[in-house]
Amino acid sequence: MKLSSLDYYLDWPVSIQIKNLRGFIIANLEKKGDLIRWSIVEIQNSIDSFGTKKLRIKAVLANEIRI
Amino acid sequence: MEISPTIFIIPTGIGCEIGGFAGDALPTAKLLASASGCLITHPNVMNGGNLAEKDKNIFYVEGYCLDRLAKGEIALKSVKEQKIGIIFDSGIENEILVRHLQVADACVSTLGINVHSYVTTKKPLSIVIDSDSSKMSGGIIKNPDTLIDAGKCLIEDGVTAIAIVAKFPDDSDSLETNFYREGKGVDPISGVEAVISHLISKFLKVPCAHAPALNPIELNENLDPRAAAEEIGYTFLPSVLIGLSNAPDIVELPNKHELISLHPDQIESIVVPNGALGGEAVLASIEKGLNIISVKNQNKLKVTNEFYDYPNVIEVNNYLEAAGIILAFRKGINLNSIKRPLKKIQKCSYCD
Repeated sequence: MKLSSLDYYLDWPVSIQIKNLRGFIIANLEKKGDLIRWSIVEIQNSIDSFGTKKLRIKAVLANEIRI
Repeated sequence: MEISPTIFIIPTGIGCEIGGFAGDALPTAKLLASASGCLITHPNVMNGGNLAEKDKNIFYVEGYCLDRLAKGEIALKSVKEQKIGIIFDSGIENEILVRHLQVADACVSTLGINVHSYVTTKKPLSIVIDSDSSKMSGGIIKNPDTLIDAGKCLIEDGVTAIAIVAKFPDDSDSLETNFYREGKGVDPISGVEAVISHLISKFLKVPCAHAPALNPIELNENLDPRAAAEEIGYTFLPSVLIGLSNAPDIVELPNKHELISLHPDQIESIVVPNGALGGEAVLASIEKGLNIISVKNQNKLKVTNEFYDYPNVIEVNNYLEAAGIILAFRKGINLNSIKRPLKKIQKCSYCD
Protein backbone atom coordinates (compact mmCIF):
# COMPACT_ATOMS: atom_id res chain seq x y z
CA MET A 1 0.00 0.00 0.00
CA LYS A 2 1.18 3.52 -0.80
CA LEU A 3 -0.19 6.72 0.72
CA SER A 4 -0.45 10.02 -1.10
CA SER A 5 -1.66 13.51 -0.23
CA LEU A 6 -4.21 15.12 -2.51
CA ASP A 7 -5.19 18.76 -2.87
CA TYR A 8 -8.39 18.46 -4.88
CA TYR A 9 -10.80 20.99 -6.37
CA LEU A 10 -14.39 19.97 -7.06
CA ASP A 11 -17.33 21.92 -8.45
CA TRP A 12 -20.43 21.62 -6.27
CA PRO A 13 -23.46 22.10 -8.54
CA VAL A 14 -26.72 23.54 -7.21
CA SER A 15 -28.46 20.26 -8.04
CA ILE A 16 -26.55 18.49 -5.24
CA GLN A 17 -28.30 19.27 -1.96
CA ILE A 18 -26.28 19.69 1.21
CA LYS A 19 -27.56 16.37 2.58
CA ASN A 20 -26.07 14.63 -0.47
CA LEU A 21 -22.78 16.54 -0.49
CA ARG A 22 -20.77 13.95 1.46
CA GLY A 23 -21.76 11.16 -0.91
CA PHE A 24 -21.01 13.38 -3.91
CA ILE A 25 -17.51 14.15 -2.61
CA ILE A 26 -16.76 10.53 -1.73
CA ALA A 27 -17.91 9.30 -5.13
CA ASN A 28 -15.39 11.64 -6.73
CA LEU A 29 -12.52 11.04 -4.30
CA GLU A 30 -12.83 7.25 -4.33
CA LYS A 31 -11.95 7.24 -8.02
CA LYS A 32 -8.48 8.24 -6.92
CA GLY A 33 -7.93 5.76 -4.09
CA ASP A 34 -9.04 4.38 -0.75
CA LEU A 35 -9.87 7.26 1.59
CA ILE A 36 -7.87 7.54 4.81
CA ARG A 37 -8.59 11.17 5.70
CA TRP A 38 -10.36 14.04 3.96
CA SER A 39 -11.98 17.36 4.65
CA ILE A 40 -13.28 20.41 2.82
CA VAL A 41 -10.80 23.17 3.62
CA GLU A 42 -12.19 25.98 1.50
CA ILE A 43 -15.40 26.88 -0.35
CA GLN A 44 -15.71 29.53 -3.02
CA ASN A 45 -19.20 30.92 -3.57
CA SER A 46 -21.02 31.01 -6.93
CA ILE A 47 -18.28 30.70 -9.48
CA ASP A 48 -20.80 30.90 -12.36
CA SER A 49 -24.35 32.11 -13.11
CA PHE A 50 -25.77 28.70 -12.10
CA GLY A 51 -24.65 29.16 -8.48
CA THR A 52 -22.00 26.44 -8.62
CA LYS A 53 -19.64 26.50 -5.67
CA LYS A 54 -16.02 25.37 -5.80
CA LEU A 55 -14.76 23.08 -3.06
CA ARG A 56 -11.14 22.63 -2.08
CA ILE A 57 -10.60 19.28 -0.40
CA LYS A 58 -7.48 17.92 1.27
CA ALA A 59 -7.24 14.16 1.42
CA VAL A 60 -4.89 11.31 2.14
CA LEU A 61 -5.45 8.27 -0.07
CA ALA A 62 -4.17 4.71 -0.06
CA ASN A 63 -3.46 2.79 -3.23
CA GLU A 64 -2.20 -0.73 -3.78
CA ILE A 65 1.29 -0.93 -5.19
CA ARG A 66 1.23 -2.74 -8.52
CA ILE A 67 4.40 -4.68 -9.27
CA MET B 1 -31.60 11.16 34.19
CA GLU B 2 -31.92 11.76 30.47
CA ILE B 3 -28.75 12.32 28.48
CA SER B 4 -28.16 14.24 25.27
CA PRO B 5 -25.36 12.35 23.48
CA THR B 6 -23.09 14.89 21.81
CA ILE B 7 -20.09 14.57 19.54
CA PHE B 8 -17.33 17.06 20.28
CA ILE B 9 -14.75 17.64 17.55
CA ILE B 10 -11.75 19.91 17.36
CA PRO B 11 -10.13 18.98 14.05
CA THR B 12 -6.46 18.14 14.29
CA GLY B 13 -3.92 20.50 12.78
CA ILE B 14 -5.99 23.56 11.86
CA GLY B 15 -4.60 25.81 14.59
CA CYS B 16 -7.65 26.11 16.84
CA GLU B 17 -7.26 28.69 19.57
CA ILE B 18 -8.83 26.22 21.99
CA GLY B 19 -7.82 22.60 21.43
CA GLY B 20 -5.08 23.21 18.89
CA PHE B 21 -2.32 22.53 21.37
CA ALA B 22 -1.58 19.91 24.03
CA GLY B 23 -4.89 18.68 25.40
CA ASP B 24 -5.96 22.26 26.02
CA ALA B 25 -9.58 21.43 25.20
CA LEU B 26 -9.80 18.83 27.96
CA PRO B 27 -11.47 21.21 30.45
CA THR B 28 -13.97 22.13 27.72
CA ALA B 29 -14.66 18.44 27.10
CA LYS B 30 -15.34 17.92 30.80
CA LEU B 31 -17.77 20.85 30.79
CA LEU B 32 -19.64 19.60 27.71
CA ALA B 33 -19.70 16.06 29.12
CA SER B 34 -21.23 17.35 32.30
CA ALA B 35 -23.88 19.25 30.34
CA SER B 36 -24.74 16.41 27.95
CA GLY B 37 -24.28 13.42 30.23
CA CYS B 38 -22.61 11.68 27.29
CA LEU B 39 -19.84 13.16 25.18
CA ILE B 40 -18.03 11.39 22.38
CA THR B 41 -14.70 12.95 21.54
CA HIS B 42 -11.33 12.11 20.08
CA PRO B 43 -7.73 11.85 21.33
CA ASN B 44 -6.73 15.28 19.99
CA VAL B 45 -9.13 16.79 22.51
CA MET B 46 -8.21 14.58 25.45
CA ASN B 47 -4.45 13.97 25.18
CA GLY B 48 -2.23 16.42 27.00
CA GLY B 49 1.13 14.71 26.66
CA ASN B 50 1.67 13.47 30.19
CA LEU B 51 -1.60 14.93 31.44
CA ALA B 52 -4.98 13.30 30.96
CA GLU B 53 -8.15 12.50 32.86
CA LYS B 54 -10.84 9.90 32.68
CA ASP B 55 -14.47 10.97 32.81
CA LYS B 56 -17.34 8.51 33.08
CA ASN B 57 -19.40 10.68 30.73
CA ILE B 58 -16.80 10.74 27.94
CA PHE B 59 -16.27 8.15 25.23
CA TYR B 60 -12.68 8.33 23.90
CA VAL B 61 -12.93 7.45 20.20
CA GLU B 62 -10.26 7.84 17.52
CA GLY B 63 -11.17 10.28 14.73
CA TYR B 64 -11.74 7.79 11.91
CA CYS B 65 -14.12 5.78 14.11
CA LEU B 66 -15.77 8.98 15.30
CA ASP B 67 -16.60 9.77 11.67
CA ARG B 68 -17.95 6.23 11.25
CA LEU B 69 -20.10 6.68 14.35
CA ALA B 70 -21.51 9.91 12.93
CA LYS B 71 -22.26 8.08 9.66
CA GLY B 72 -24.13 5.37 11.58
CA GLU B 73 -21.75 2.56 10.62
CA ILE B 74 -20.65 1.63 14.14
CA ALA B 75 -21.89 1.72 17.73
CA LEU B 76 -19.91 1.89 20.98
CA LYS B 77 -19.73 -0.62 23.78
CA SER B 78 -18.43 0.42 27.20
CA VAL B 79 -15.74 -1.78 28.74
CA LYS B 80 -14.14 -1.84 32.16
CA GLU B 81 -10.67 -2.07 30.72
CA GLN B 82 -8.85 -2.54 27.46
CA LYS B 83 -5.86 -4.82 27.03
CA ILE B 84 -3.45 -2.38 25.41
CA GLY B 85 -0.61 -3.18 23.05
CA ILE B 86 1.93 -0.64 21.83
CA ILE B 87 3.42 -0.38 18.36
CA PHE B 88 6.83 1.26 18.35
CA ASP B 89 8.25 2.62 15.12
CA SER B 90 11.58 0.88 14.50
CA GLY B 91 12.98 4.30 13.60
CA ILE B 92 12.98 5.22 17.32
CA GLU B 93 16.42 5.38 18.93
CA ASN B 94 17.05 2.86 21.71
CA GLU B 95 17.28 5.43 24.53
CA ILE B 96 13.92 6.95 23.59
CA LEU B 97 12.40 3.48 23.24
CA VAL B 98 13.55 2.59 26.77
CA ARG B 99 12.01 5.83 28.09
CA HIS B 100 8.66 4.84 26.53
CA LEU B 101 8.82 1.30 27.89
CA GLN B 102 9.43 2.71 31.37
CA VAL B 103 6.42 5.00 30.96
CA ALA B 104 4.30 1.98 30.00
CA ASP B 105 5.55 0.14 33.09
CA ALA B 106 4.70 3.21 35.21
CA CYS B 107 1.15 3.24 33.86
CA VAL B 108 0.79 -0.40 34.92
CA SER B 109 2.35 0.05 38.35
CA THR B 110 0.89 3.45 39.31
CA LEU B 111 -2.39 3.71 37.42
CA GLY B 112 -3.36 0.05 37.19
CA ILE B 113 -3.71 0.17 33.40
CA ASN B 114 -3.54 -3.12 31.50
CA VAL B 115 -0.64 -2.58 29.11
CA HIS B 116 -0.11 -6.09 27.83
CA SER B 117 2.67 -6.13 25.26
CA TYR B 118 4.50 -4.21 22.57
CA VAL B 119 5.91 -4.77 19.13
CA THR B 120 8.43 -2.93 16.98
CA THR B 121 7.65 -2.39 13.31
CA LYS B 122 9.71 -4.44 10.84
CA LYS B 123 10.52 -1.28 8.87
CA PRO B 124 10.62 2.37 9.99
CA LEU B 125 7.28 4.11 9.37
CA SER B 126 9.20 6.95 7.67
CA ILE B 127 7.13 10.05 8.38
CA VAL B 128 6.86 12.70 5.68
CA ILE B 129 5.47 15.99 6.97
CA ASP B 130 3.74 18.07 4.33
CA SER B 131 5.50 21.38 4.76
CA ASP B 132 3.45 22.93 1.99
CA SER B 133 0.26 22.83 4.04
CA SER B 134 -0.71 26.45 4.43
CA LYS B 135 -3.89 25.77 6.39
CA MET B 136 -3.83 22.23 7.70
CA SER B 137 -1.07 20.18 9.16
CA GLY B 138 -0.57 17.25 6.80
CA GLY B 139 1.65 14.43 5.63
CA ILE B 140 1.93 10.69 5.19
CA ILE B 141 3.98 7.68 6.21
CA LYS B 142 6.01 5.85 3.58
CA ASN B 143 5.50 2.36 5.01
CA PRO B 144 1.86 1.91 6.03
CA ASP B 145 1.92 -1.88 5.57
CA THR B 146 4.53 -2.32 8.29
CA LEU B 147 2.25 -0.42 10.70
CA ILE B 148 -0.74 -2.65 9.88
CA ASP B 149 1.36 -5.82 10.18
CA ALA B 150 2.56 -4.75 13.64
CA GLY B 151 -1.03 -4.09 14.71
CA LYS B 152 -2.15 -7.51 13.45
CA CYS B 153 0.64 -9.11 15.47
CA LEU B 154 -0.63 -7.44 18.66
CA ILE B 155 -4.25 -8.42 17.99
CA GLU B 156 -3.20 -12.03 17.43
CA ASP B 157 -1.50 -11.76 20.83
CA GLY B 158 -4.85 -10.86 22.44
CA VAL B 159 -4.61 -7.09 22.55
CA THR B 160 -7.91 -5.15 22.32
CA ALA B 161 -6.61 -1.57 21.92
CA ILE B 162 -3.49 -0.17 20.28
CA ALA B 163 -1.22 2.74 21.13
CA ILE B 164 1.19 3.76 18.40
CA VAL B 165 4.46 5.60 18.97
CA ALA B 166 6.06 6.90 15.79
CA LYS B 167 9.43 8.56 15.35
CA PHE B 168 9.09 12.11 14.07
CA PRO B 169 11.87 14.06 12.37
CA ASP B 170 13.90 16.17 14.77
CA ASP B 171 12.76 19.65 13.81
CA SER B 172 12.80 21.23 17.26
CA ASP B 173 14.50 24.33 15.87
CA SER B 174 12.08 24.76 12.97
CA LEU B 175 10.03 27.90 12.65
CA GLU B 176 6.75 25.93 12.74
CA THR B 177 7.67 24.09 15.95
CA ASN B 178 8.71 27.28 17.73
CA PHE B 179 5.57 29.09 16.54
CA TYR B 180 3.47 26.22 17.88
CA ARG B 181 5.27 26.14 21.24
CA GLU B 182 4.73 29.87 21.59
CA GLY B 183 1.02 29.52 20.83
CA LYS B 184 1.12 31.17 17.42
CA GLY B 185 0.90 28.39 14.90
CA VAL B 186 -0.49 25.05 13.77
CA ASP B 187 0.81 21.85 15.37
CA PRO B 188 3.10 20.74 12.52
CA ILE B 189 2.94 17.00 13.21
CA SER B 190 -0.69 16.44 14.12
CA GLY B 191 -1.85 15.82 10.55
CA VAL B 192 0.44 12.80 10.18
CA GLU B 193 -0.52 11.62 13.66
CA ALA B 194 -4.14 11.49 12.47
CA VAL B 195 -3.16 9.50 9.38
CA ILE B 196 -1.33 6.92 11.51
CA SER B 197 -4.24 6.34 13.88
CA HIS B 198 -6.79 6.42 11.03
CA LEU B 199 -4.90 3.55 9.34
CA ILE B 200 -5.16 1.37 12.45
CA SER B 201 -8.85 2.26 12.92
CA LYS B 202 -9.68 1.61 9.26
CA PHE B 203 -7.87 -1.68 8.80
CA LEU B 204 -7.92 -3.23 12.30
CA LYS B 205 -11.11 -1.75 13.81
CA VAL B 206 -9.87 -1.47 17.39
CA PRO B 207 -9.60 1.56 19.69
CA CYS B 208 -6.30 3.31 19.07
CA ALA B 209 -4.38 6.54 19.56
CA HIS B 210 -0.98 7.92 18.69
CA ALA B 211 1.88 9.54 20.58
CA PRO B 212 4.89 11.00 18.78
CA ALA B 213 8.45 10.10 19.80
CA LEU B 214 10.55 13.22 19.76
CA ASN B 215 14.03 14.01 20.97
CA PRO B 216 14.17 16.19 24.10
CA ILE B 217 13.99 19.84 23.11
CA GLU B 218 15.60 23.04 24.33
CA LEU B 219 13.94 25.06 27.06
CA ASN B 220 11.74 27.82 25.63
CA GLU B 221 11.02 30.58 28.11
CA ASN B 222 8.27 31.97 25.85
CA LEU B 223 6.30 28.74 25.99
CA ASP B 224 2.54 29.16 25.70
CA PRO B 225 0.64 27.54 28.63
CA ARG B 226 -1.53 25.67 26.13
CA ALA B 227 1.51 23.78 24.83
CA ALA B 228 3.04 23.23 28.27
CA ALA B 229 1.69 19.71 28.84
CA GLU B 230 4.12 18.45 26.21
CA GLU B 231 7.10 19.79 28.14
CA ILE B 232 6.67 17.37 31.05
CA GLY B 233 8.94 14.36 30.84
CA TYR B 234 10.32 12.48 27.87
CA THR B 235 7.23 11.04 26.20
CA PHE B 236 3.60 11.85 25.38
CA LEU B 237 2.53 8.25 25.98
CA PRO B 238 0.73 8.54 29.38
CA SER B 239 -2.29 10.43 28.05
CA VAL B 240 -2.69 7.89 25.23
CA LEU B 241 -2.58 4.93 27.62
CA ILE B 242 -4.97 6.62 30.05
CA GLY B 243 -7.40 7.41 27.24
CA LEU B 244 -7.26 3.91 25.77
CA SER B 245 -7.44 2.16 29.15
CA ASN B 246 -11.24 2.12 29.03
CA ALA B 247 -11.99 3.41 25.53
CA PRO B 248 -15.19 1.82 24.21
CA ASP B 249 -15.15 -1.18 21.90
CA ILE B 250 -16.12 -0.59 18.29
CA VAL B 251 -19.25 -2.52 17.29
CA GLU B 252 -19.90 -2.88 13.57
CA LEU B 253 -23.53 -2.31 12.59
CA PRO B 254 -25.90 -3.96 12.08
CA ASN B 255 -25.24 -6.17 15.11
CA LYS B 256 -27.71 -8.16 17.18
CA HIS B 257 -25.24 -9.95 19.41
CA GLU B 258 -23.19 -7.26 21.16
CA LEU B 259 -24.49 -5.23 24.07
CA ILE B 260 -24.42 -1.66 22.74
CA SER B 261 -23.83 1.29 25.10
CA LEU B 262 -24.29 4.03 22.52
CA HIS B 263 -26.08 3.61 19.20
CA PRO B 264 -25.48 6.34 16.59
CA ASP B 265 -29.24 7.01 16.42
CA GLN B 266 -29.05 8.34 20.00
CA ILE B 267 -26.71 11.19 19.05
CA GLU B 268 -28.45 14.57 19.14
CA SER B 269 -25.77 17.19 18.52
CA ILE B 270 -22.27 17.83 17.29
CA VAL B 271 -20.06 20.63 18.58
CA VAL B 272 -17.43 21.96 16.17
CA PRO B 273 -15.35 25.12 15.76
CA ASN B 274 -16.91 27.75 13.53
CA GLY B 275 -15.19 27.56 10.15
CA ALA B 276 -14.52 23.84 10.45
CA LEU B 277 -17.78 22.50 9.02
CA GLY B 278 -16.05 20.62 6.18
CA GLY B 279 -15.35 17.34 7.95
CA GLU B 280 -17.10 14.05 7.33
CA ALA B 281 -18.74 13.87 10.78
CA VAL B 282 -20.35 17.28 10.27
CA LEU B 283 -21.64 16.42 6.80
CA ALA B 284 -22.97 13.08 8.08
CA SER B 285 -24.71 14.92 10.94
CA ILE B 286 -26.35 17.24 8.42
CA GLU B 287 -27.67 14.19 6.54
CA LYS B 288 -29.36 13.07 9.75
CA GLY B 289 -30.75 16.50 10.61
CA LEU B 290 -28.77 16.76 13.87
CA ASN B 291 -28.07 20.00 15.71
CA ILE B 292 -24.72 21.52 14.85
CA ILE B 293 -23.35 23.82 17.52
CA SER B 294 -20.77 25.97 15.79
CA VAL B 295 -18.51 27.65 18.34
CA LYS B 296 -16.27 30.67 17.81
CA ASN B 297 -12.81 29.13 18.16
CA GLN B 298 -10.37 30.90 15.89
CA ASN B 299 -8.68 28.62 13.37
CA LYS B 300 -7.27 28.57 9.83
CA LEU B 301 -10.46 27.46 8.05
CA LYS B 302 -13.49 29.40 6.84
CA VAL B 303 -15.91 26.63 5.94
CA THR B 304 -19.00 28.12 7.57
CA ASN B 305 -22.76 27.65 7.32
CA GLU B 306 -22.86 30.61 4.94
CA PHE B 307 -22.13 28.05 2.19
CA TYR B 308 -24.55 25.35 3.42
CA ASP B 309 -27.54 27.28 4.71
CA TYR B 310 -28.37 24.32 6.96
CA PRO B 311 -31.21 25.33 9.31
CA ASN B 312 -30.08 23.39 12.41
CA VAL B 313 -26.81 25.25 12.95
CA ILE B 314 -26.62 27.17 16.21
CA GLU B 315 -23.75 29.64 16.27
CA VAL B 316 -22.42 30.53 19.71
CA ASN B 317 -19.62 32.71 21.01
CA ASN B 318 -17.88 30.25 23.29
CA TYR B 319 -18.02 26.77 24.81
CA LEU B 320 -19.74 28.04 27.95
CA GLU B 321 -22.67 29.04 25.75
CA ALA B 322 -22.47 25.69 23.93
CA ALA B 323 -22.75 23.90 27.28
CA GLY B 324 -25.92 25.85 28.06
CA ILE B 325 -27.47 24.91 24.71
CA ILE B 326 -26.66 21.23 25.25
CA LEU B 327 -28.11 21.34 28.75
CA ALA B 328 -31.30 22.87 27.35
CA PHE B 329 -31.51 20.02 24.80
CA ARG B 330 -30.94 17.51 27.57
CA LYS B 331 -33.71 18.96 29.71
CA GLY B 332 -36.11 19.49 26.80
CA ILE B 333 -36.20 23.26 27.18
CA ASN B 334 -37.14 25.26 24.08
CA LEU B 335 -34.18 27.54 23.28
CA ASN B 336 -36.61 30.27 22.15
CA SER B 337 -38.12 30.39 25.64
CA ILE B 338 -34.85 31.73 26.97
CA LYS B 339 -34.31 34.38 24.26
CA ARG B 340 -35.91 37.81 23.98
CA PRO B 341 -37.94 39.12 22.29
CA LEU B 342 -40.27 36.13 22.57
CA LYS B 343 -42.59 35.64 19.56
CA LYS B 344 -46.24 34.66 19.94
CA ILE B 345 -47.15 31.17 18.79
CA GLN B 346 -48.27 31.01 15.16
CA LYS B 347 -51.68 30.08 13.83
CA CYS B 348 -51.54 26.99 11.65
CA SER B 349 -53.55 27.04 8.38
CA TYR B 350 -55.20 24.02 6.77
CA CYS B 351 -53.48 22.91 3.58
CA ASP B 352 -56.73 22.51 1.55
